[in-house]
Parts: sequence; C-alpha cells; structure tokens
Amino acid sequence: MPVKSALPPSSQLPACPVQHLPLGLSSVQTNDRTHSRRNMDSFTSVEPDFVLTHAPQAKVLMVGAGGIGCELLKNLVLSGYGEVHIVDLDTIDLSNLNRQFLFRYEHIKKSKALVAKEAAQVFNPNTTIVAHHANIKDAQFNIEWFRGFTIVFNALDNLDARRHVNKMCLAADVPLIESGTTGFNGQVQVIKKGVTACYDCTTKETPKSFPVCTIRSTPSQPIHCIVWGKSYLLNEIFGVSEDESAFDHSEDADNANEIAELKKEADALRKIRDSVGTEEFPQLLFDKVFNADITRLRSMEDMWKSRTAPEPLEYKTLKEEAPVVDEAFLQNDQKVWSLAENLAVLNDSLDRLSKRKAELIKETKGNSEPPAITFDKDDPDTLDFVAAAANIRSYIFGIEKKSRFDIKQMAGNIIPAIATTNAIVAGLCVLESFKVLKGEYEKAKEVFLTPAGLQRLLAPDRPRRPDPNCPVCSVYRLIVYVDLAYATLDDLINGFVRKQLGYGSKDLAVSTEAGVVYDSEEEDNLPKKLRELGIGQDSFITVVDEDDDDTFVNVILSIHQATEPLGDKHIKDLEPDKAPEIPRKPKKVPAVESVVASQTNGKTHALDEDPNDGNNKDLKRARQDDSEIVRLPKRLKTTTQSRGDDVVIVDDESGTGAIVIDD
Amino acid sequence: MTEIVTSQTPPILHGPSEKEKKYDRQLRLWAASGQAALESANILLVNSGAGTVGVETLKNLVLPGIGKFTIVDDAIVSETDLGVNFFLDESCLGKLRSQCCAELLQELNPDAQGDWYPKEKASVNLGQILDSMPMYTLIMYTLPIRPEDLAAIKTYGRKHQTPLISIHSAGFYSYFQINLPGAFPIVDTHPEVEKTVDLRLLHPWPELVKFSQEMTKDIDSASDHDHGHLPYVVILLHYLEKWKEGNGGEYPTEYKAKMAFRKMVSEMARTNNPEGGEENFQEAVSAVNRNVKKPQLEQSLEEVFDHKLSNEVEMSSSFWMIARAMKKFYQKNGCLPLPGGLPDMKAQSSVYVKLQSIYKAKARKDALEVLETVRSSPGGKDVDPAEVDMFCKNASFVKLVNATAEGRDFKQILQQEKQNDELAEAIGTPLSLLPIYLALSATSHKPLASADEIKADIVGIWPDVADDMRVMQSSEEVARAGGGELHNISALTGGMVAQEAIKIITKQYIPIDNTCIFDGISSRCQVLRL
Ligand SMILES: [Zn+2]
Repeated sequence: MPVKSALPPSSQLPACPVQHLPLGLSSVQTNDRTHSRRNMDSFTSVEPDFVLTHAPQAKVLMVGAGGIGCELLKNLVLSGYGEVHIVDLDTIDLSNLNRQFLFRYEHIKKSKALVAKEAAQVFNPNTTIVAHHANIKDAQFNIEWFRGFTIVFNALDNLDARRHVNKMCLAADVPLIESGTTGFNGQVQVIKKGVTACYDCTTKETPKSFPVCTIRSTPSQPIHCIVWGKSYLLNEIFGVSEDESAFDHSEDADNANEIAELKKEADALRKIRDSVGTEEFPQLLFDKVFNADITRLRSMEDMWKSRTAPEPLEYKTLKEEAPVVDEAFLQNDQKVWSLAENLAVLNDSLDRLSKRKAELIKETKGNSEPPAITFDKDDPDTLDFVAAAANIRSYIFGIEKKSRFDIKQMAGNIIPAIATTNAIVAGLCVLESFKVLKGEYEKAKEVFLTPAGLQRLLAPDRPRRPDPNCPVCSVYRLIVYVDLAYATLDDLINGFVRKQLGYGSKDLAVSTEAGVVYDSEEEDNLPKKLRELGIGQDSFITVVDEDDDDTFVNVILSIHQATEPLGDKHIKDLEPDKAPEIPRKPKKVPAVESVVASQTNGKTHALDEDPNDGNNKDLKRARQDDSEIVRLPKRLKTTTQSRGDDVVIVDDESGTGAIVIDD
Repeated sequence: MTEIVTSQTPPILHGPSEKEKKYDRQLRLWAASGQAALESANILLVNSGAGTVGVETLKNLVLPGIGKFTIVDDAIVSETDLGVNFFLDESCLGKLRSQCCAELLQELNPDAQGDWYPKEKASVNLGQILDSMPMYTLIMYTLPIRPEDLAAIKTYGRKHQTPLISIHSAGFYSYFQINLPGAFPIVDTHPEVEKTVDLRLLHPWPELVKFSQEMTKDIDSASDHDHGHLPYVVILLHYLEKWKEGNGGEYPTEYKAKMAFRKMVSEMARTNNPEGGEENFQEAVSAVNRNVKKPQLEQSLEEVFDHKLSNEVEMSSSFWMIARAMKKFYQKNGCLPLPGGLPDMKAQSSVYVKLQSIYKAKARKDALEVLETVRSSPGGKDVDPAEVDMFCKNASFVKLVNATAEGRDFKQILQQEKQNDELAEAIGTPLSLLPIYLALSATSHKPLASADEIKADIVGIWPDVADDMRVMQSSEEVARAGGGELHNISALTGGMVAQEAIKIITKQYIPIDNTCIFDGISSRCQVLRL
C-alpha cells in the first residue's frame, strides 16, 4: 500500500501530515503509518493518496468569486489543486465583506477575480492561479476553452450564468460541480453529461413579472406598489423609459381600453419630466400620480365592484403634516413610515435625485442623452424614492405599508447570505471534486443543507439521472464545420441536416439563440447566409424534430469555421461511415394537470444567492440510495392572495420574505 | 472634541449606516437584536491540537462581527501549519501561533477585537489565565488537548455558567459537541411562518363572534358577489356554530367529524355561477384540518411550563418570569395568547383589513394581560414589553434546549445505535457515525495513538464493541491521520460549528443537541445527544 505523503513539507499539500502539537502534547512525528482498510467500500471513494497525486495535475475553473467562491478558492489552494482559473465580472461591494473574506474595505470597487487571486496566491505558490475579470458568457470562453479543464465549479449568483456554464460543460463534456446558498440553506450537485442530471433537468422558475394592469391600475399587494415605484415611476422620471421586463403583456388584449388609457397617462407623466429640479416639481408629480391618475382610475366603476376603490390624496394638506426628515430619521431602516413621513422622504429623495440629474446633464453638456438613473438597492437615493412612492401608493389602495428595510429586500431581490453556509457548501464542493477526480460518479452525492433538520444538518442524496426529456442535456450535440463566408441556411438544413443527419423529409423547427429561423411555415430565410441570421463561430443551433413518431431528440449544432476549403456545399460532410445515431425521444406521457385550488401550486424558491434564479427543486423528491433516505424539509411556502378577481402567487421564502420579482 | 460646523439646513447622511450595509445580508436572518448580541459577545478559543478547525470557526464568527475574541495557544508556527492553516503565512514561521492567527483574523473585520495568549513564547497555565480574564460568552476548544487544560475549561464553565463547544477534526473525520450550562431557553426560534397561524376558531372572542355573525346573518340571501367574498374565517365560524347546534354543542375535532364538517361546508358553496364554485369556500374546506383543532400545548412549551427553577440565575431571568405569566394566562384562558397574524384569503379588501385589525387588537390585549402579570410579580417591573410581545407571538414555538439530563446514558446510546445499524443494513438507511466519535475521543489527549491503541482504549471502556468492524475501521482512519487536519474538512466543520455558536450567542434558531459527527468520506453527519 502506498505510504502517506512522501512529498516534502514545502509542497504544502494537505495530506494528513502529522502536525506539531502545541501545549506540550507531543513532538514526535511519525510519517510512515500505512493504512490497510479495504473492507468498507465507501472508504475507497476519497483516498488521500489519490487526491494527493491527482489534484496537483488538475486544472480547474471556478466561475464566480463571491461568497462560495472565496471559500472555495481557499479550499482548492489548500487541497493542492495545480491550476485554478477564476472568472468573475463583479467588483467588490461593502455588503460582501460580512462573508467574502478574501476582500477588505480597501478593495471596494476592485475586481473580485483579481483581488481573490492576489489574496489566495500567497498560501500555495505551487498552485497557478489565473484570474479573468470578465463575463463568463464572453466569446473567449468557448467550448474549446472549457474543454481544457478537469473540473468546473459554479459559484454563481444568477440563473442566467449558471445555465450558460451548465450548457458549456455539457457541450465540452467537462464535469461541473454546481452549488448555491440562501441564508442557512445550501446545495451541492455534481453534473456529468449522460451520467447525472444537469442544472436544467428540473425546470427553473423564470423571473416574476406582473400583468401591466395589476401594477398600474389594480395593485393588491405591497410588491405591486414597489414594482410600480421601481419599474415605472423611477424610470419615467429619471430613467430611459418604462422598464418593460417587469411587465407581463399576455393579458393586454383583454384590457385594451385600460392599456390605451395607461399609455396616455405615461405620456403625460413624461411631459412633466421636463420640470425636474424646479421648485414646483414635487407637487406636479404628486398631483399627477397620486391625485389625477387615481381620480381617473376611481371613475372606472367596473374596476371597483369587488375591490375597494383607491382614494386620491391632496398634496397641500399632506405637506402641512410632513415632518423634516433628518439623518437620524433616515437611519432607522426598520420603522414603517407614516403617510406624511413618506411624503417627506419622497420630496427629499426627489431633491437628491434632481441634483444628480442636473449634474449628469452638465457633464454631457447637452451633447447626448444624459445617462439614466436606474434603481440600485444599494443606492439610497433611488431606494428612498421607491420606498416612499410605493408606500404612498399602498396607502391609496388600502395596502399595508412596508419599512425601507423590507422594501429594499423586495425591490432588490436580496437573499440573505452568511459566512457559515458558504464555508459548509464550499467544503462539500471540494469533497465532491475528489470523487470526480477519481471518476467515481456513482459515489458522488447531491448534498442539501437542511438547517431545519436538527438531527442531520446535511442530507446527502444519490445523484439524479439525467431527465430523458431535458431540453439541455438529453440532446445530441454535434460540431459542424462551415464556410461562414458562403454557407446559407439552405446549405445547413437541406444540404446537411436532412441529407447527412438523416432527417430526410421530417417536419423540422430550427432555432438560434435569437429564435426560430426555420420551420414548416417559415422558409423565407433559406436563401440567407448564416451570418445574416446572426450565426457565427461558436453559435449554437437547435434542430427540433416535429414529427410525432420516431422522433429524434433535439440536436444542437455548434458552428465552427472550417479551416479547409469546402467547395460548393459550404458545409463539411460527415465521415462516410460515421453517420450519427441520433437517439429517439421517449413516448410522451400525458401530464396530469392539477385542478385543485391555487394554494396547492407547489412553487418553490431558489437556493441561490439571487432569487431571480428560480432553482425550482422538487422538494418532495425522496429517493432512496444505498446509504440515505432523504426527506427534504419544505423550505419555502407559497402564499396565495386572492382578493377581488386578481389572483397573484408570490413565492415567499419562509421567514425572510424574499420575494421573486424581476430586476 | 471638535464641533462640526453645519450650514443652516444640515446635509443629510442618507440611508442606513455603513455598518448596516456591511451586515445587510445577515441582518435579514437575525435582525438587529441578533447582531447586537453578536457584537457584545466575547469568545475564547483554546486552540489546541493541529490548530486549523478552531481558527476556521473563529473566522466565521469574526466576519459577521463578533465583538471580541481571544486565542489561547502556545504552539510555535511550523512548516506543517502553513499547509493547512489559511491564517498563517511564511512570515509567521517560528512565531507564536496564537498571535499570528489573531492578527490575521483581526484583519478580516476591524469591528472585532482580537487578543491572544501567551504574550511571549512560553507554555501557558490555562487555569491561571482563565482566572484573570473577563467573562466569556462562549468558550470553544479544539482537541487533542492536555487533560489539565480541559479540566480548567470545564471548571470555568461550571463556575460561570458558560456554554462550551469542543471540536475535533482529524483526517476525513470531525465532531463537535455543545455543552450548555443547564436549561437553555430560546424564544425567537424562527418557526415556519405558516405554522404560526392561530385563528382560534374553536375559541373565538366576543369581537370576532360579533363580526362573523353580522357578516353571515343573511348568508343564504346574500348576493353571489357578497357570498363569494366571505372570508373563510367567517365561513368556518358560521358553520361551526351550525354544526354545534346539530351535534349536542360539540365541535368537530375528531377525524370523522372533521370530514363530515368539511363536507357540510363544501356543500354550502354556490355552484350555479359561471365559475361553478366559490374560491372562498374552497379555502374554507382546505383550512378545516389545520385550523379546526382544540388548543393544545406543544411539548416544548410544556417542558417550559413544567421546568423547576434550579438556581439564582434562572430565578431572576426575565424569560422565566414571562414563562410563569404565560402559564397563568394559559390556565386561566385555556389557550395561549393570540399571535395575531391573519393569512391571506379571498375577501374584499375592506373586510379583510377589518378582520385583520380584530386579530391584531386581540393579540395586543392578550400580550397586555401577560405583561400585567409579569409586572405584578416580584422583580417583574423592569421586564421589557418587547420581550413579552416576542414571547406571546412565538409562545407555541418557545424551546428549552438541554431541558433535562436525559438521554446521556452512553451505554444505552451505543446499544441503540448498534441495533439501528443491524436494521440499517437490511433497509438501506445510513449507518451510525458513533464509531467515528469513539475513535476520535480515544485520541482526545494522545493524537499519535496507533490503531491498536485506539481500539484497546475504546474496548477498555466499552467491551461490547470489541468485535465491531466499523469501530476498527474508524480507529484505523483516525490513527492514519495521526492528529493531522485536512484543511477542507476543518473548514467545513468550522462552518457548522460557527453556525451553532451564532444560534447560542443570538439566542435565535434552535441549536443542535448536542453532538454532531461528520464523515467527510460520505459527506454526511449525524447528531446525537451524548
Ligand atoms: Zn438536463
């Protein structure tokens, strides 16, 4: 049997070196203890010797240098990993410092990736650390680049980047260790193409949006008023214009008249925007949005048959009661302000924002549109404005007012985060990486932190199998070599997909990341060059078989520029005897629809640092494993509020009140 | 002091303070009260053994803003330290480990104040240091440790009623154990929001009854709109009265009666409307199981009510004064103070708001009754009304950790775990991690013990495990580690220990009771009361 670390101490590898024991316990070092344990299968799964010899040769990628990332980098470096690449676009913020321990006060506004590298490098000169202050979605990080890593670690805080890395790792066939935390909850998952489920095997919740009429005409919850303040009012006055992403337009057709009225309202608001900075502006704005618009709404009698009609407010009377807001007043985050106090804060924040706007206009010297002031949860001016405006609107509609502390959380998608959870999750990531290094995927675990389960704290679970219907991992992937200067969509579809891939005369739908470019009803693009359709080097093209029988799984083509001339076909043929065997989709089983009342909608919330990131785990999933039976606690609840006809489902993380809205 | 000169209208420093911004993400977990507790805490780490797990734990307490910490450790930094300890660098070689770690930890957060012992290279007399130091909120110590140091810590803990946490990390294994000084009450346990709903349907008070009766007096002739917007609370109160009339004054609390009551309510929904049913009645039907039940004391609160005060500290604590007042309230009223929350339900906004205010008013009245009882008890004049409010809101979820000495018969636990394991092999449940604890414990004072020595030690105390394969395997793994720590295992363990330490310091959330054993090979842990 191999003997424990034979490496010199200076290599600083975390074998189980015999430590110097303080307090006079012992100073004897015995370095030659052999181990002879072969009875327990599980013991062989993470063998220190194996880690010792393989970690230094491994090149790993860590995407994200935030809460989990800082911990992870420290653990990777002290576990002897040979080469660690860090990619993070973010800069350091004050609110990171309660957990992201590689960063100090003086690092605020600097690159997370670069500072993390500097801080960690000194602890193991044998580890090569490469930092990229960049977006992981940049073109430089293509499939080829991903393929160069032994393992990729996701330590991210948003859905979009997670899905991207998941897709890239599947395409490059590199194992991915995915992790996330929310408060005391956390999760680690090993993703290996064809072996374990991918990130997208479970449907993720998309950002919450609300029907325009709910936000603009019939709010019934604090969040509706907050979205109104943030995505409508702030943007109309200080931003570019309506933040469309917040709105769900699917019901617009049913409310055509009201939508038209709302458009007029917004136009009128834009007109008074020119008075920003004048003394009259606060009252102009107030009279418009809290009186005139409300009076109009109130006159729509049909709307208030089953709702309490809103009450317009008088600026003059309210202004008389408004106190002077001073520093001490604004420091108290948790207090729910009175109506008059909200007006005082609104006017005060208007004053601050107007001055900023004037400053911005001065800087651009009228040469171009001055940059917009947009909502930022850590920008107190915009936060005060949104909080006060939302509360005044809530008052008008008989909705509960909220403290600025709560509004910050709801408007800014804040998810609680602490050092302890990150430490646990990062430690678990590294333990899983040892199994991945050894290729022992059957021993890998999907681990959940279960803070409510005081008898176990951690719930390791056998990894799930890939979902055969997953649109991301249960697909067939293929690289296509194309002469991008000439190739048309026709070359690709009729020349390659139908002839070479065996689609023949099947019904097809072909899409790029931008949308559908070809299907049975849309053939106009065929003569166009791929480039004209936005298809270039490293683009992904999805081919969906629309036939009901003998249906091919979705095929994802990665486009590569061919290096040799291809003649008239413009697309490189497959090797003659290497026609791909595209798997077939499993027969569809009709989905069982739930017909119970809305409160049974078992929506769950993200396990992430960012709630946008609806990591919609099926919490009831209870699988058996050779060693574990897991029943996960119901971490989150769904509240259904249904007053009037307006049923809105809000996902509320238990206890903390994090609400998913768009950002 | 310099006067700050201001112009006529003082410039406003906007928004929350820098500190609030820095701690924003955690304030959302334990609020300002929890943060204040952390900031006034004074933690001692006796950093014995290989020294990484203790420092990693401390790191996770310094970051969220612990007030003060002290490291006692007389080891001198060597090459092996550098390979596992992130809070030591090349420049620390040959220096005091306590000082180097304290200084590097201090850098993480200027709000925390770090100190260390000894001040110069020399072995320490822990007993002497402890005697000369201020009161600690919590003491953590890492194993292996000198027996006399352990004795000194335990003596101090008993004398000052200080919570102790021991931590042992070696190779792929670790455990930590919390020893609380007597019963440890927690009011702010953060139960799931939906569990805290108490509608008191079987115990309505006059204002609620009156409101409900007025809303339902013409229920059968009400317009479809009004009928479809009755809040489910009102619907249930109405039909519960009807039920009582037909059932000899009894409420439907048994399973069969509940099912019949559900049927009764669902049949009262109008179906001759375009929707073919009524959402508010659906809500009422599905609320029956959870909300139509006799008030019943949670076991954890029963433990609080039955607890016999055993010492001075308990006698004078505001918690126990409120607990006594709460018990009086319960005995007098047959129920706990109303928490006052009302879940969302289909209703007209104005009706919902009215109903909400009826619940809130009752909650305030109940809390006031408890407060008056507290105030009239000896020493109760200074009890903070906010503490009473919190207790009333969380009454059902108040938890007494370490309430009794029960469950500490080690021999019995050993047998129980062995029995479970026999079953476990058949049904595939996880095996006990107790053997890991046994093996680590055997090296509490001698890190370099061989596998045979560890085995002999364990079997010497527990002859029953002589032929236990898993005890043998654990012993071999612990021996192989030879007292060495793996950074990753210690970092992970440090995260778990700090999590529990924060619960103890803030008195929020329920800490584990009392030993957590971690196996880094299967990424699994087990909590046992040892
Ligand atoms: Zn998948």
